[in-house]
Amino acid sequence: MKLSALLITGMMYVMSYAQTYDIQGQVTDKTGNPLPGVNVVVKGTSQGTITDTEGHFKIANVSPSTVLVFSFVGMKTTEVPVGNQTTINIVLEEELMGMEEVVVIGYGVQKKVNLTGSVSSVNFGDLADQRPMTNVSSALAGLSSGVVVLQSNGNPGKDGATILVRGLGTLNNNNPLVIIDGMEGSLDAVNPNDIESISILKDAASAAIYGSRAANGVILVTTKKGKKDRMNVIYNGNYSFSSPTHLMEFVNDYATHMKLMNESARNIESAEPFTQATIDAWLNAKKNPNALNANGVPNRIAFPNTDWVKEIYQKNIVQDHILSLDGGTEKSTFLLSFGYLDNPGLVDRTGIKRYTLRANLETNVNNWLTIGTRTWGFTQEKDLGNYDTALEYLFQTTPGLVSEYNGKYGFPEAPGESYYANNIAAILNNTLGLDRSSYFNTTLFSKVKILKGLSWDFNFNFARQFDEGTATTNGDVYERIKFSTGEVMAPKWVPSELYTSRRTSSNRGYTLENLLRYSATLADVHNLDVLLGYNEQYYYEYYHTGMKKGLIDKTINTFNSATQMIEIRGDANDWALRSWFGRFNYVFDQKYLFEANFRYDGSSRFDPSKRWGLFPSFSAGWRISQESFMQNIDFINNLKIRASWGKLGNNATMRDGRIDNYAYQATYGITRYSLNGLQVPGLAPSMIANKNLTWESTTVSNLGIDVSFLRDRLFAEIDLYNKLTNGILTVPPIYLTLGMVDPPIRNTAEVLNKGIEILGGWRDKTGDFSYSVSGNIAFNKNMITKFKGKLIREWRDGEYYTNLGDVSDVDWFYYLRRLEDHIINEYYLLDVYKGDGTYFNSDGSVKVKGGPKDGMIRTQKDLEWIQAMTAAGYTFLPNENISKQGIWYGDLIYADNNGDGVFGNTYDYDFRNYSPMPKITFGAQISLKWKNFDMNMVFAGNAGYKLYWLERGYNFTNTRIGFQLGKMIENDHYYFNESNPSDPDNNTTAKYPRLKLQYDDPQNIQPSTYWLHDASFVKLKNLSVGYTLPLSISKKLYTERLRIYFSAVNLFTITSFPGPDPEIGMHTNYPIMRQIAFGANITF
Amino acid sequence: MKKIRKIIGLFAAIVILAACQKDLLDTAPYGSISSGNMWQSENLADLGVLGVYSALRFDYTGLNRLYFDELSFTAQNRDPEENVLMVTGTITSSHPLFTNYWKQNYEGIHRANDALANLPEKAPLPEEKRGRLIAEVKFLRALFYFNLNMVYKGVPVYLEPVAPDQANRARETEAKVWEVIINDLTDAITEPNLPNMYQPGDANFGRATKAAAYALRGKAYLWMKDYARAEADLRKVGTLGPELYQGPYERLFKEENEQHPEMIFSVQNIGLDGYGSYTQKWLSSRVAYGSGWNVVMPAPDFVESFENADGTPFNWDDYLPGYTTMTPEQRVVFFLRDGLTNEEKAYFTDLGADMSKYLDVGNEARIKQVYDNRDPRLKATIITPYSQYFGYLGGEEATFTLRWPYRTDQDPERDLRTDTNNKFYYLWRKWVYEGGNETPDAWYCPTDQPLIRYADVLLMLAEAINEQRGGDAEAVNLVNTVRQRAGMPDISGVSGQADLRERIRNERRWELSMEGINLFDEMRWGTWKDKKFYSGNGTKQIWGGQNTFNYNWKGDYLYTWPIPRDEVERNSNLQQTPGWIE
Repeated sequence: MKLSALLITGMMYVMSYAQTYDIQGQVTDKTGNPLPGVNVVVKGTSQGTITDTEGHFKIANVSPSTVLVFSFVGMKTTEVPVGNQTTINIVLEEELMGMEEVVVIGYGVQKKVNLTGSVSSVNFGDLADQRPMTNVSSALAGLSSGVVVLQSNGNPGKDGATILVRGLGTLNNNNPLVIIDGMEGSLDAVNPNDIESISILKDAASAAIYGSRAANGVILVTTKKGKKDRMNVIYNGNYSFSSPTHLMEFVNDYATHMKLMNESARNIESAEPFTQATIDAWLNAKKNPNALNANGVPNRIAFPNTDWVKEIYQKNIVQDHILSLDGGTEKSTFLLSFGYLDNPGLVDRTGIKRYTLRANLETNVNNWLTIGTRTWGFTQEKDLGNYDTALEYLFQTTPGLVSEYNGKYGFPEAPGESYYANNIAAILNNTLGLDRSSYFNTTLFSKVKILKGLSWDFNFNFARQFDEGTATTNGDVYERIKFSTGEVMAPKWVPSELYTSRRTSSNRGYTLENLLRYSATLADVHNLDVLLGYNEQYYYEYYHTGMKKGLIDKTINTFNSATQMIEIRGDANDWALRSWFGRFNYVFDQKYLFEANFRYDGSSRFDPSKRWGLFPSFSAGWRISQESFMQNIDFINNLKIRASWGKLGNNATMRDGRIDNYAYQATYGITRYSLNGLQVPGLAPSMIANKNLTWESTTVSNLGIDVSFLRDRLFAEIDLYNKLTNGILTVPPIYLTLGMVDPPIRNTAEVLNKGIEILGGWRDKTGDFSYSVSGNIAFNKNMITKFKGKLIREWRDGEYYTNLGDVSDVDWFYYLRRLEDHIINEYYLLDVYKGDGTYFNSDGSVKVKGGPKDGMIRTQKDLEWIQAMTAAGYTFLPNENISKQGIWYGDLIYADNNGDGVFGNTYDYDFRNYSPMPKITFGAQISLKWKNFDMNMVFAGNAGYKLYWLERGYNFTNTRIGFQLGKMIENDHYYFNESNPSDPDNNTTAKYPRLKLQYDDPQNIQPSTYWLHDASFVKLKNLSVGYTLPLSISKKLYTERLRIYFSAVNLFTITSFPGPDPEIGMHTNYPIMRQIAFGANITF
Repeated sequence: MKKIRKIIGLFAAIVILAACQKDLLDTAPYGSISSGNMWQSENLADLGVLGVYSALRFDYTGLNRLYFDELSFTAQNRDPEENVLMVTGTITSSHPLFTNYWKQNYEGIHRANDALANLPEKAPLPEEKRGRLIAEVKFLRALFYFNLNMVYKGVPVYLEPVAPDQANRARETEAKVWEVIINDLTDAITEPNLPNMYQPGDANFGRATKAAAYALRGKAYLWMKDYARAEADLRKVGTLGPELYQGPYERLFKEENEQHPEMIFSVQNIGLDGYGSYTQKWLSSRVAYGSGWNVVMPAPDFVESFENADGTPFNWDDYLPGYTTMTPEQRVVFFLRDGLTNEEKAYFTDLGADMSKYLDVGNEARIKQVYDNRDPRLKATIITPYSQYFGYLGGEEATFTLRWPYRTDQDPERDLRTDTNNKFYYLWRKWVYEGGNETPDAWYCPTDQPLIRYADVLLMLAEAINEQRGGDAEAVNLVNTVRQRAGMPDISGVSGQADLRERIRNERRWELSMEGINLFDEMRWGTWKDKKFYSGNGTKQIWGGQNTFNYNWKGDYLYTWPIPRDEVERNSNLQQTPGWIE
């Protein structure tokens, strides 16, 4: 207290006795053009101004010892000592490489040249100006090396991408930690337009300051701040025309559908479900779609050929607007923004409307105290179009019913059709109501300068989310009409049958943080930065739901007005975290860089004796280009090598995709029973606890090199890393004999990710034309290095032995396994049988290695071979018997990999060296600028991975009455009419197996490599072209800057994957949007 | 300035104090009891025992065992999916049926073991209650082992709590597991505080009783072919209070009779979400309250097995001359509704029906008499063609009729609509609720599901006697007792042990259908293969012929189920059941 008071008095003394005068001047670029908007600041103070439209500036009351700092985006920041000058005209040089570029790191910023860790930084502010964005996460694709961004769902509000930093490090939660302005948050909660920059901390050295939970990398989001001494009103907005990137198709000609259904019945000697008369009726009706039937109904309605994909997916217009106001005085800055997003989605009633607000305020109360706030929030409304159910049922219908006609829903028309063929349009509309999310997040902060170089930051953050939902049955959609006759086949639901439910869920959390910072420069060559911090966090969430049945009227749905109690549920959850952390950063002579971090974390998810984890890191760098011996090498402008080592933690105790906050505590949960007609609660152990549960830790070593050549025009960064995660928190399966109890979460496997990341580019400017091209690529090799032991598969005394179940786990998808020395979730599949194409030995005995070449019984020889094999005692699973109802023409058979004479049993499965996770990730950006035109392109892609795709309704050849058939199998499935070898429908060279009217027949749907496809793809994520109006014109429109642009998102995809968009993954889901946008950026 | 400093100082102090909340990291679950506190009070001990009972609510411990009929003689499933792969012949040891059957019953066993480890000492209880609770839990443990041993024929035995990594014992023999079951049941029987039966309306109604323990032990002896002991135990049951319900057979399965003394031990259901059965969803039709899916349906063979009302065997030709010599497609004509339109006639002619036998008026009446003149249990159990069902549709109760082909469920026809309207199947009446008030929902129906009832005990006793003393009059009388309640004449002309054995078996099929008993009976008798898997059998329409899908017998090894594949892989002490290919 005394000391700083003294200091302040001293500063005031100096200031009051200095001699001052005014300075003016002009700032221009190399070609002599005046530069407006250049920041001119008196070094070490907040005093300053901005150049006017002619590049002129004026500053009052400066002393001769003052240094003026001129800064402008894209120009080298230049410092000019005032001395005795009163006029200073300066030329700012363009900054090509950005030597002074500053990168946001944990709890601070650092010059990029001084970084010793591996940090990718994205100038997000520019990006958001250029294209429509419905969320932040999916916009990151292709922008930084080693970061996989996969958007697997396009449903508005759920369309956030999965982000993986440097591969799958663990078997549990792989999401990177997201820090928004210093506080943990959700990436997609932020309005993209509010973001200034995003940094991705990839190695342990840069992330270790976040110790716990930083094992999957850290994404740091910094939002915009107001700028001093001026005020801007900025409008950014766009309208985009959205359509699905990719849709799967069904057979929608009903006559064809019926024919194929009959074929699939014939194939297994089952009765044909449709008569030829019915099929002919459809064929005839199609010739005269508008002719009226006997009841006066047009043929297209009475004999429908519904294309459900067209019925469900629509094109739409997305709107995105943001208005922001920013500015400040010498002492204070502010930024206020208001955003509005209306994304109606690609499916009826699935859209969202979202309103965002932000206020970032900061003020210097005096010369030692700064206080401020960053406060933001949103509210979002989502309509209850029942997409998930509609998708689930999309293949459980046929083209033989009308979706909607005169506001009514159709019913199957043909005799023989299933009466439970669903009406998807009705399902989509079967729930009325709304989901509303409201989120509020505020940080209050203060910075106190205690001594020169020493400061104390105090940050307090409070966030609260409140979700409320109502859902009421829409009884009207249950009415189904057979339009050909006008008969009501199913009635509307009456009010007494309608359900109404309410859900409220809420979470709240606080973070409290104290930081002490000290920085000093000693003897001009020793730069020292020290940080010490304390942080605690607490999070609490709850939900309540209730449901009643029986309304007094379909429009009235409050709980009080509903009659029958169905259920009330609710639960709550919490967690807490306490941490101490610190950083020591030392730079000698701008050449030798050294940094050490530590973090000591305690998590409520672990037993007190196992609660604390220490996560240190060390890193060093050598800026070789700063050495005197390099000064003569002109073509190298920058050369730095970096090395780091560190340890990170993860406390994500995941179970079934959700965090279990109390996994170390054994508990008894409630069970349900009744006695004598009354409910009675019971208690039973609900899970096996693990008292020894503790931190999962990841050790990362990183070696990097940064270079730039030829006046910084050519640049590259290369990183090599080795990331070893051990004590992975996972839920290994337990003996089934232990019952239904949840297994314990345990620290188990060890996973190694090794990789290389390369980033490079070229940028230059000639005259009015400037351009840059850059690309990044990352190779990652993933392997489980330690798990439950080595796999043994061998013959022992004539019996085949394997310990597979003992040493490996199955993922949620049963064809993905985890085993030591293999990729996480590696495919574990059968092979289809591949014979050599010969059949019998000369003595007439069957050739064991003979038979069909491509896994399918196609010819009579093939069939004779398998019959002879079966007669010789070999078994072909799963159907075994060689008959039309078992294995026949057009069926797949599987290889006998272990040689036990049983083809396709459990021992014939094998690992495939591929997983659904890409081994290679790459991206490229091209940007061009000519006069007032600008153009940007972003490509992103993934390679080196495969997707197992076998999906009902799309490429599934087992059929069922009332279910759709995929268009892709219509013309490419095996068919052989044995009684007529010249039947024009015969297709013995088809790709897909024969149709079978036997939905669960496992013969052709065994998990085999037959359904495993390369999923590599490259996408043009964004193409944007903009034009900034000349100042003279924009002035007339009362604007300072006016840019209009065209932008396309997800314009095209190049891939060989036959299924849905490979980015979505192995199952059809809500398609991703292709957007064609027109927008404007206006500064007033 | 000083003021601000003070404020900051104060603020900093608050901050630091707030940060020193010592117990910040000591969070505990909000909705459960920590294991250290469990069993420490009478209330918690009660709740712990009810936790063992609630294990009966799993599919294969109690609640849904009735659906096993779909794998057996009495019933069929409309689709070749899920557990039905057992009869289509493509099931493997990794099928969820085996995994869940195993896990669910072991879950009950471990809950019981936990209770039995803590009830004797840890729980503060009055001694009489302690004895009763221990006996109840032993009964339940025996029931779970019983479920396992019937199908796996020898399983690992755990009789005390076990550490997770110790649950890797080898199988005990089938006999050894029966011994375990007998021991537990004997303990329950000898417990003086276990009541014989509970009166209807007793707050404890639904708990295990001595009658239940004797009945289950008798059944165990029947499995062990120890007929003398079985006879003694089953005979004992009748002295403890159970009696046959004497009202109409179909009323026995209504909620009003769920506490009748015939019901010896039932899974308790009430009409609350999570507390009821879902027979309505699984068995009923679209015009039943809650709109059912008729997933499981009566098998035509089962329907045809019912005797004529006078006790003579049924034969189609007696009612429809020439029926058995016609092709199934031709037979369709008998099942058609009166007054077919010309289009409909053309359609059925196309399908191969012998339309020369069609009667524009009287076609319905002709087929109806096939079902009217039969064992009353047929119509009480099954919705037969042109019989009526009192259902619920569009907010009102209405009477529907099962007709072919289906036209509309609206007035005036009110045809019974199903999920399989393009096929003509029999439907269950048993367990299906009528009108709009019998169940609040199709997913939680209120009627208790009996696991043991007195008619079952009487027929088991008849079997135990007949196996010892073939054709014994007392055995015949026991069968007749059950028949009399159903309204059937006594059996006559019993020609000896084998004949009576067959009659007892049939009586069990008719009396106990759709109660989860038939499959295990057929497995115990070794008749499953012949009754279900004879060549050409499958899920079929009323007139037979081309099956919806076929059944395939893959070998006698099906009589013993496989240990779940995952468990065999994980626990190398376990030997897979012979015959099952991995």
